Amino acid sequence: MNARRATLPVAAVLVLAGVLCFSLRSRSRDDQKALPGDTFWRVVYKLQFTAKKPGAKVFVALPVDTQYSRITEGVRQSGDTVTEKLLSRSRDTREVVATTQRAGAHNLTFDFSIHLSKQSKWRSASTRARLTAEQRAECLQAKKGIEVNDPIVRQALDRIQEEPASKVDLVERIFDYCFAEIGPGGRDAPSSAAEAIKEGVGTALGKARAMVALCRAAMIPSRLVTGFQIMHGVEARPHVWVEVLNNKHWEPYDPEFGFTRELPHNVLCVRRDGGAIVRVKDATALRTTFAISRVSAPVGSAGREKNPLDVFDLTRLPLEMHDVFALILLMPLGALVTAFFRTMVGIRTFGTFTPTLLALSFVYADWRTGIVVFITVLVLGFAARKGLDRLKLLLVPRLSVILTLVALLMVFGVSLLDYFDLTPSAQAVLLPMVILTMTVERFFLTSEEDGVRFACQLLFGTLAVGLVCYGVLRWEAVGRLLLVYPEMHLFTVALLVMMGRYTGYRLNELLRFRDLAERNV
Amino acid sequence: MRRFWAWPSELRFRGVLGINQRNGDYVLPNNPRCYYPRVDDKLLTKQICVRHGIPVPQTYAVIERHGDIQRFPQLLDGRHDFVVKPCEGSEGRGILVIVDFQQESFSTSSGERISVPDMRYHLSTILSGLYSLGGQPDRAIVEQRIVRHPVFESVAVKGTPDIRIILYRGVPVMAMVRLPTIASRGKANLHQGAVAAGVNLATGITSGGVCAGRAVSVHPDTGASIQHLQVPYWEDLLSAAMNLAGAIGLGYLGVDFVLDVNLGPVVLEANARPGLAIQVANRRGLRHRLDFIDAQSPEMRSPERRWELLEQLAEVV
Repeated sequence: MNARRATLPVAAVLVLAGVLCFSLRSRSRDDQKALPGDTFWRVVYKLQFTAKKPGAKVFVALPVDTQYSRITEGVRQSGDTVTEKLLSRSRDTREVVATTQRAGAHNLTFDFSIHLSKQSKWRSASTRARLTAEQRAECLQAKKGIEVNDPIVRQALDRIQEEPASKVDLVERIFDYCFAEIGPGGRDAPSSAAEAIKEGVGTALGKARAMVALCRAAMIPSRLVTGFQIMHGVEARPHVWVEVLNNKHWEPYDPEFGFTRELPHNVLCVRRDGGAIVRVKDATALRTTFAISRVSAPVGSAGREKNPLDVFDLTRLPLEMHDVFALILLMPLGALVTAFFRTMVGIRTFGTFTPTLLALSFVYADWRTGIVVFITVLVLGFAARKGLDRLKLLLVPRLSVILTLVALLMVFGVSLLDYFDLTPSAQAVLLPMVILTMTVERFFLTSEEDGVRFACQLLFGTLAVGLVCYGVLRWEAVGRLLLVYPEMHLFTVALLVMMGRYTGYRLNELLRFRDLAERNV
Repeated sequence: MRRFWAWPSELRFRGVLGINQRNGDYVLPNNPRCYYPRVDDKLLTKQICVRHGIPVPQTYAVIERHGDIQRFPQLLDGRHDFVVKPCEGSEGRGILVIVDFQQESFSTSSGERISVPDMRYHLSTILSGLYSLGGQPDRAIVEQRIVRHPVFESVAVKGTPDIRIILYRGVPVMAMVRLPTIASRGKANLHQGAVAAGVNLATGITSGGVCAGRAVSVHPDTGASIQHLQVPYWEDLLSAAMNLAGAIGLGYLGVDFVLDVNLGPVVLEANARPGLAIQVANRRGLRHRLDFIDAQSPEMRSPERRWELLEQLAEVV
């Protein structure tokens, strides 16, 4: 029984190590206060809109991390019945897509924290751009409000180009023209390029559009950028400026405030395609307000020199990784749940980690869709497997046929859901297909050999454990905590070690052996 | 009144062994992993048995390659009854008992007819590893069919009963007879609905049993009593089991026998993780008996003196 005696000390050492790491790190996190001059901000987007139908979408752009700024805390969203996905296509866009689940008026808030630091270099300053021909053409195109081919724009450009100039000079001159010749106007001032040039006055947007139109007319790729200038204010106004492609670099020009080539470090870029920060699809009456407020320095968002120990600080990773990492870090908890149910409760499942993997896929999809797809695939797969049994195929080809069927069923299942407007998510396809295939095969074999009842029992056990795992994996607060303190998994291992030496009865054995409890048998 | 629940303290008092404890305190410490092939691979088990003079069903053929399957009916040398089983199967899966071969079709013990191509398909699924532990490619054993001993005629339906003995450190600690039923489709597997009756270690006489988790004293299909039946050759069974346990080297072992009308008791297979239902069949927990063995001096556990322990063990409750 040596093993048993060693278990407790091992678990104790693990817990101790966990506590030690935990306290050391939480102390050092306090020490890691931001550098002098760093500031922290809380940005809140408030959205009001009316969805025309369930499934209306809201596209909310978030600031892109720059050399001086980054989002430190995940986006917290509050509002009714909305599913969200964070998409980041490149370093140019970062967008949350929220989908409504009903028609009618909605109120939504998005809330995140920003760390501004002049000293930190979270991201290299380089804005080197590699444009495809298509993207390049897009940056030269006329658009609504950017009337590249309008005679007024052409004439203005001709005036600017009277003296021949190099490309860089030309951009400077265009900028000077837009900054000085087009006066700042109030809300009623023109906001399209042609009109602003014609009337010599324009809104901030009008001035920026004028600059883009002039650059594009001169065949210099340029684009409108929307963002914020971070400063305390209850109602922040999105700020608009221009980026011009110069020598394969995008360089900013701000015709409203007058900055060129480099913007103040508190200017955050949100959207680079000239669109609004918040867009809606299938919805009307969108009202958006932005609030930016200064907050005192939070724990754990330091900026300092690079340090190898930073490897252990997962929060320094870009926001896109946070969700995925949190999920990965939650997986051991899923395994813990599985271990608990199997060794302490005695629920039997198909495969050891099938429930955890199912739960993982339910997190990516919606769990209801997940279960519907799971059951449907299982039932149809089972029927197909039963038919296939007559063909007497060899093992691997037979499994491959089932895998193919499962793949087809998944794809068409999602397509069917879509046909009935049942808000499918393509992520439902992420249901682990190999796991499903093996489940179909095992379900069939078990039902043949041990009866359908026993097979259904196993299936039920798998689903039940899977749903509890799902509950754990859904637990975002814990996921975030684990991201900050991954050493908490030392406790998980300690628990697993203890469970590995649990030699007491399983819960189901109290039922199974109940007859033995009678004294007088 | 039937209870729905037993408190852990009650089970502990009765010495009931749970799965976790079986694995953690008996299987893991006493069964070295390197000896597992000796029980998982039925051919190896058979070889060990033969070497130690323990009777086993005669092996007619071993099919190792898909190519051999085509020669299948010829391999039989004109035999009309035989058993096909996967070499590394578990829980009786993949076993076909053939009682007759006529007009290109086989008759199974449960009365089904199987054509030659179907039989070849069955063999190929065995080779592909469908029934093997972990799905590894497997071999198929074709061996002598056991003609069941008439002793359990009235309490075994559609199949052959088997006798399981659990040995701890080489000493038999508990035994049961498993009797097939209609529900178990002729198989002697408890979770498929077979009946089990406890066996007194000292005398080889059955006591009441269990079926589908319920205590029974008669066979559910025939209504015949399953109590007070004498297992024939009981001493031979015990000595064969002890012999085999010593040869295999696993400290916690289950050995399954069947009774052949001509050969007497033959070993079917051995199991490194024998199930716990034997406790329900005997209405006794295993713990106290295991503790009793642990408390004995090595000398008492020696092959010569084990027999003395058996009578005392039978009294341990």
